[in-house]
Amino acid sequence: MKPPRWASTLLDWWGDPNTVEEVQGDLLELYEYWVTTVGERKARWRYGLSVLKLLRPFAQSKSTDYPSPFLLSPAMIRNYVKIAGRNLSRNLAFGTINLLGLVLGLTCALIIFLVVAHETSYDHYQTQGDRIYRVGNYNINDKFTYPGTYSGMANAMRNDVPEAELVVPLLQIGGSTVSIPSTGNRFKTSLVYAGNELFRLLDYRWLAGDARTALSEPNTVVLTRALAETYFGTSDVLGKTLRLDNKPDLMVVGVLEDYPKTTSFPFDLLVSFPSVKTSMPDYDLNRWNGWNDNFQVFILLKKDTKPEQVTQRSAAILTKYRDEKAAKDQAIALTPLAEIHYGHNLGGRSANLKLLNILSLIGVFVLLIGCINFINLTTAQAFKRAKEIGIRKAVGSNRLSLIYQFLTEAGMVTFAATLLSILVAWLGLPTVVDLLGIPLTSADLFSGKTVAFLTALFILTTLLAGIYPAFRLSGMAPIWALKNNKMPQGRQTITLRQGLVVVQFTVSLVLITSTLLINQQLSFFKNADLGFNTAAIITVGLPDNSPAKLQTLRNRLAESSQVKDVSFSFNSASAESNWMQGMQYRKGTKAVDIKTQLKMGDSHYLSTYGIQLLAGAGLQDRDSTSFKVIANEVFLNRMGVAKPADAIGEKVYYGDGQEFATIIGVAKNFNVNSLHQKIDPTLIQVVPTNFYQAGIKLQTDQPNAEALKGVLAHIEKAWMETFPDRIFEYSFLDETLAKAYQAETRTSQLIGTATFLAIIIACLGLFGLAAFTAEQRTKEIGVRKVLGASVSGIVLLLSREFLKPVLVALLIASPVAWYAMNEWLQNFEFKVGISWDVFALAGGLAVLIAFLTVSFQSIRAALMNPVKSLRSD
Amino acid sequence: MKRAFLGEFEEVVLLTVAVLDESAYGVTVTQEIEQKTGRAVGFSTVHTTLQRLEEKGYLSSKMSGATAERGGRRKRFFSVTAAGRKALVDVKSIREQLWDALPPQTLQLMGG
Repeated sequence: MKPPRWASTLLDWWGDPNTVEEVQGDLLELYEYWVTTVGERKARWRYGLSVLKLLRPFAQSKSTDYPSPFLLSPAMIRNYVKIAGRNLSRNLAFGTINLLGLVLGLTCALIIFLVVAHETSYDHYQTQGDRIYRVGNYNINDKFTYPGTYSGMANAMRNDVPEAELVVPLLQIGGSTVSIPSTGNRFKTSLVYAGNELFRLLDYRWLAGDARTALSEPNTVVLTRALAETYFGTSDVLGKTLRLDNKPDLMVVGVLEDYPKTTSFPFDLLVSFPSVKTSMPDYDLNRWNGWNDNFQVFILLKKDTKPEQVTQRSAAILTKYRDEKAAKDQAIALTPLAEIHYGHNLGGRSANLKLLNILSLIGVFVLLIGCINFINLTTAQAFKRAKEIGIRKAVGSNRLSLIYQFLTEAGMVTFAATLLSILVAWLGLPTVVDLLGIPLTSADLFSGKTVAFLTALFILTTLLAGIYPAFRLSGMAPIWALKNNKMPQGRQTITLRQGLVVVQFTVSLVLITSTLLINQQLSFFKNADLGFNTAAIITVGLPDNSPAKLQTLRNRLAESSQVKDVSFSFNSASAESNWMQGMQYRKGTKAVDIKTQLKMGDSHYLSTYGIQLLAGAGLQDRDSTSFKVIANEVFLNRMGVAKPADAIGEKVYYGDGQEFATIIGVAKNFNVNSLHQKIDPTLIQVVPTNFYQAGIKLQTDQPNAEALKGVLAHIEKAWMETFPDRIFEYSFLDETLAKAYQAETRTSQLIGTATFLAIIIACLGLFGLAAFTAEQRTKEIGVRKVLGASVSGIVLLLSREFLKPVLVALLIASPVAWYAMNEWLQNFEFKVGISWDVFALAGGLAVLIAFLTVSFQSIRAALMNPVKSLRSD
Repeated sequence: MKRAFLGEFEEVVLLTVAVLDESAYGVTVTQEIEQKTGRAVGFSTVHTTLQRLEEKGYLSSKMSGATAERGGRRKRFFSVTAAGRKALVDVKSIREQLWDALPPQTLQLMGG
């Protein structure tokens, strides 16, 4: 009748050694007593329970000889803060360097957060957002989704897709003139044709009007409050009328509250969908032979319906309304509302998801560089505090309280840096808004989300910057610290510190190299020979292209001696939106299909834009009826014709294959698209009904301001006389073309700024480290000088230590930068090559900057009088 | 000087040790309390209380009396110290003072 063995063994192992003997005895005695009184089973149970309760972790007496203080009591925290304050004020120079580095890093992170938070919050507030999709056209061969679709798709969705609860077609028309009959004021605006379903699809707040019936009738219109105030000076505008171009008057039937900034549907002027028939009688609302991105269809899927249920029937729907060939090349794509902001949308603002990711990464890296400064300078200074740490430990401070102490110091610096970074971000925000074209205000800076982010950032930065020094310094053995009065200076610490400098300079170097390459590419864009003239060409719109009006305008413009040539055309020689058409060349029995860009221009087109003719003759205005065209070299290439002269007289077929046009001339290649894309096969033809703009070439390529003002006034007068009641707008061709590279310009400015910040922060750190080393080696330098070392020798000695990590960084950074830039350059058809001199230049710059930073300190140290530095011993 | 605090169970254990006089050790104290109060007390509770009372200076102990039934292990005998006796007297006098202060009719109602 033994008690349970496991319990006895446990007691042997874990019982309190001071009392284990009598406890074992007592329990044995009690066990027998229990067996007789309550039975064996219960006795075993009680025995086991008693043993468990007596095991040391539970039974050990709580009180020890010395009470252990609570290290986060208010008194201790006050002490941490006080000591931190003293330390910081004693090392003001290093503290300032730490602070500046962190402020720059935090500001960078904060602003990038604001940008990313703004760009990723579009349309998130829509209550039915997860069920809203845009119906787009997916090109299977190009793997590209067009945001627009056939105008007939709205009907197809209504008839063949029962999963769609709502079908909302939207048609956006830009550049209309709105006039207010009551005041006579005119405004240029873009507008959207929409039906009442729109108000059930998205969230709207109505100030006046009825959401259910507002846009049912033709010629009705709904405005936002802001637009109503611009047009009428008041938001109480129900029943008032406005006139669109020269079409029937529209009556205001509703006023909407202004939209939040983060909407992809910022339509200030909504015209009822039935008005399409009255104001644009030619517009085909059941068109299936082509589409435009300004006609978009949105659907609201029924609850618990997946978009795949619709898209898997895509081929059937396209076959029904078009044909089998279309179903093979295209598919219906449903883009969720949440993704609409990341591509072309009717709101006009879109974000590049890739760029946002790169930005976030840059933010993290710049912050990291700032934190590394902190780590480096704190550990470097540690020897100064070795005595303090030694004494603290000797009088009984435990490791934890030292860790708290160092974290408090890091926390105080970070806190000050956080506050300062808010100030800097607030001051810098308008510049950022300008640079990126993002509608951010200081209200975004003080929103709850930002505060939460800053708090998290503060904690994270404190830990990132403080935890390594805290653990490293507090782990020092007190005897060592007190005896030698310095930190153990193993090789390891030096390597680590240098390793961190390598990280800093790797990031800086990748950024420097990227900036250099992006700028190379941008200047290539600016200076590339496009194959036509861009200088001194002014473009104006043509609201009415009847031959009589055009002749009047031409005559009027020609009155000025400043105007050299005028051409009416569909668009400029290079433009953002183009007319693409399928053409066919028949070579014997073989037919070659050529996807062609059609440039439509008059007889002055070639001379105005300075496009060279290689063979044949130019176009005549009367050619509009005889289908004569000019082809470019790429077109000839596709035809398989080598010599330009051979192409003259060849026929190209289009439409149903019966109609054809004859090539009468061959033009030298010119960039019909931005340099992102290849040159398309191109035909130039005279189609007066599609002339929407006039290009006006001036006499001199660089007119002075006076002359420019004169000629602009002349053009405006001529235009206004030809098109009264319209708003005159003009633009310079070179500026319009430069807009195609706006995204790249922004990227360049952004990365340039980040580079600048990264270098500054890294240099601050290097400067601090150099100052520290120079100070530490004062005596060594003194001795060296006494023994005859030259100043330049000492400068070299001190600088060499810092140039090594920079060179290592160059080795790491170059391949990274090469890879990143190679990826970026894939965006362009016409691009600069990456040559080794960029890396050499970046490396040279980094070495130079590092050397200048360090040499200030090393020269000062080298010039010091050895008597002074050695006297104290 | 502030009077040391004596918990209710501590008081019971201390009194039991005093009652058992020379023969007070873990087992006897546990059994005595069980019999006198009729409540089941765990040995571990008694043991830790004895330890605590010793730390407070109310009990002293010595090891002796190894027997075969305990596997040759010695017992730890406890005896009440002067401080312990004083503490018991203090507690008793406080109780008596309070009882004396009880109005007679309340005393009757309680069946006293």
